Amino acid sequence: MKAGSPDSKLRLVAWLFASGVLAFASDATNLSTPIPSLNARTVVGVRLAVSSFAGFNLQQGRASPTPTALINGGGVTFNKDIAPIIFKNCAPCHRPGEAGPFPLLNYGDVKKHAAQIAAVTHIRFMPPWLPEPGYGDFVGQRRLTDGEIQAIQRWVQQGAIEGDPKDKPRAPVFVEGWQLGKPDLVLKISRAYELPAHGDSGRDVFRNFVVPVPASSARNIKAIEFRPGNAQIFHHANILVDRTESSRRLDGQDGQPGFAGMDLEIQSDHFDPDSHFLFWKPGTAPSAESDGIPWRLERGTDLVLNLHMRPDGKPESIQPEVGLYFTDQRPTKFPMLLQLENDRALKIPPGDKYFVVTDDFKLPLDVELLAIYPHAHYVGKDIQGFATLPDGKRKSLIWIKDWNFDWQGVFRYQQPVSLPKGTTLHMRWTYDNSAGNVRNPNNPPKLVVAGNQATDEMSHLWVQVLPVNTSQLKVDPRMILQEAMMRHRAAQDPSDYMAHFNLGAAMQAMGKPEEAIEEYRRVLDLRPDDAIARNSLGAALQSMGRIDEAIPEYQRALKARPDYFDARYNLGSALLAGGKAEEAAAEFAEILTAKPDDSDAHANLARALAMQGKMVEAGAEFESALRVDPQNADAHYGLGRVFAAQGDLSRAVVEFEAALRIAPSSAGAHSDLGTVLAMQGNFERAVSEFEAALRIDPELKEARDNLERARAKLARQN
Amino acid sequence: MTWPVILLACSVAVTSAQVRVFDLAGRAVDPLASAHSQPTVFIFTRTDCPISNRYAPEIERIHEEFRTSRIAFWLVFVDPNESPEAIRSHVSEYGYGMGVLRDLGHALVRLTGVRVTPEVAVFVPSASEPKMVYRGRIDDKYVDFGKERPQPTTHDLERVLKAIVEGKSSKAETTHAVGCFISDLETR
Repeated sequence: MKAGSPDSKLRLVAWLFASGVLAFASDATNLSTPIPSLNARTVVGVRLAVSSFAGFNLQQGRASPTPTALINGGGVTFNKDIAPIIFKNCAPCHRPGEAGPFPLLNYGDVKKHAAQIAAVTHIRFMPPWLPEPGYGDFVGQRRLTDGEIQAIQRWVQQGAIEGDPKDKPRAPVFVEGWQLGKPDLVLKISRAYELPAHGDSGRDVFRNFVVPVPASSARNIKAIEFRPGNAQIFHHANILVDRTESSRRLDGQDGQPGFAGMDLEIQSDHFDPDSHFLFWKPGTAPSAESDGIPWRLERGTDLVLNLHMRPDGKPESIQPEVGLYFTDQRPTKFPMLLQLENDRALKIPPGDKYFVVTDDFKLPLDVELLAIYPHAHYVGKDIQGFATLPDGKRKSLIWIKDWNFDWQGVFRYQQPVSLPKGTTLHMRWTYDNSAGNVRNPNNPPKLVVAGNQATDEMSHLWVQVLPVNTSQLKVDPRMILQEAMMRHRAAQDPSDYMAHFNLGAAMQAMGKPEEAIEEYRRVLDLRPDDAIARNSLGAALQSMGRIDEAIPEYQRALKARPDYFDARYNLGSALLAGGKAEEAAAEFAEILTAKPDDSDAHANLARALAMQGKMVEAGAEFESALRVDPQNADAHYGLGRVFAAQGDLSRAVVEFEAALRIAPSSAGAHSDLGTVLAMQGNFERAVSEFEAALRIDPELKEARDNLERARAKLARQN
Repeated sequence: MTWPVILLACSVAVTSAQVRVFDLAGRAVDPLASAHSQPTVFIFTRTDCPISNRYAPEIERIHEEFRTSRIAFWLVFVDPNESPEAIRSHVSEYGYGMGVLRDLGHALVRLTGVRVTPEVAVFVPSASEPKMVYRGRIDDKYVDFGKERPQPTTHDLERVLKAIVEGKSSKAETTHAVGCFISDLETR
């Protein structure tokens, strides 16, 4: 997993509310003025590398009693001593349909593998669990006690006896199928992927599948469950959210569904839900997100399944499913993923047994640490994450002494770990690039550098943190984290264009466009043809009203990448804002030939048409926008203005009301609704709408003027 | 944990009359019958051993490589509780194209000294009785449970068979194989 390249979906809706005035005092409502947008979408271009995380939560903190046989020195039997260990620790995966290659559900099953079980538990290969005990207290820990391991050894030595039937514990009961019940929405890849019996040169297969989310309205997701189908061939799955369709371009190019790649770059333009790990590994039960932390799935996004598969010797048809569980609860707490990394330091000489890479980051505010995800490939050996608290005390966050890529995972803390402002997070990764490391992908060893192939390395530590004690802050605390993180990156490596880009995006989101422009220009000094940075620079300029400077930036972005629809959209918006309605209409029309389902492009084309006085065509386009997305508040609002211009006041009211149901805090829609109500003679309601508009935007002059007129009319009526 | 490769000082001569295994029709057969006249490879396996199963394509690759070399290949199933039907469908699923034997009493297991699946034993004809010239791993991909090379650095079975085909005198050899323990299985 890697911070994505800056392919942010930058869309700009540049409508100035003040220019769209309906004055009921005059009969001619002036609709040649641009129709304003309700929710002028701020241009934010924050890329986060994302892997959201459904969480896993099983078998919390179960004590592991020492088997009775070890205490009283008697014979060890399956029924008395071994079955409880196996049922608890092995059976969750070793049962039909799950990841274990054979079932371990009864005496016969276990007897058939008894010496094997003794051997693999003795070396702690099974059950697989990487973190060292005592260095982080994690949910779902699956680690045998020394006593349990000894009991298995003795049981096998004594002949693997079944024992007294009355000692036999009840067979474990498992939920079949979806562990969280029937999902609200099940998604799967459109056609099955044929996994060969044998990977290329016997290697594992890393494949990414794009799963479009149907274009219904946005949802809050309380849980996500991954059902692999044939679990035995899966090592892990990362589910990423792609809002930019950037992965679709790669899909299917080799004739099979999906595309190859061990790590994935996903581009992202805002924070939600880039704050959750969506990770699956065998034996991890899915669980709902904690209270207040659902994540938001926007409409029209893609889920990308990043899968690590191990061919099992025969061809397999792969068609995993993702179950989504919705909630009406909106997110009230907003965690964030932070990434420590030092990939540019990865130049590991062949033969080096102890190559160390570190990174550290000082927290700019108080956080709670919720989960941790260390990542390296096959040369990685010793993985340590720790914190230095402001008082100088060291706190271990995770320690993996024998890193094994195959069993990597997201580890969630039993209790959030409190890390006050000023705490420094550290990662210390040690790599073994000698021939003695049997997992070394190169034989003989050779120089290993950063990259996303199995023969490359990575040094990433992701943490999920929840900012706390934030009530005094004036900006989104995650922006403060993002800014600090990106400044840290840029200081480490001034040529890190992603850091500059992300910093620019954070600045733009925090309302500091001058600083954003500076950072985007740094990116463009390094990469003049970076279409995304060009587009972001244009958007930042446009947000300051510097439309004439913005337009050439969009045009350069489009020269670098002619199919960059967001840049074209922004160009159209800028042209429209500059009063060039005809040129703007051409840009939106071009988008719509490629993407007829782009509701916003329909709405903006409609505005351009309205600006040219083509009211009938404008109305039709607004209606097209609403056919694609009935929840498009802008389109309802625009359609309301078209109806108002055509004198159809009652339908105008219906549309304005629809817009306000979706976007209740739009001062413009309240004001225009008030205007139309006043034109209908309903001064009482008009007054309350003007008042509502002014509560939201006290500067809205036409609302103030119209409020006075409406009050005067009302006074005369009474 | 690494395991030394053990070179045997002498080869094992066997008396084929001692050993009986079964074919899928349930008939008792002498597994070494072919080894009197041609090199013979036994690949010990079971249906539920993931390491064995992952080797299926590699086993077939080697089988294919020596198809024209008059080497007999036998897949020997060592779990007596696997039915002939289950074995048949397993063999077809994994695309094996070689003869199948069932070692219900582990007679061939004892004779060869194999410990795990997958493990192989190679016999060549000799003046009196067939002699075993190799027993052990297919290659060195697996070093221990959970310790696996991305690719093998030596292809032991392939090397031994090449030497036989090229008529080179091979000294008897054993290597340590990693896989599922045969001793866990009951015999009939």
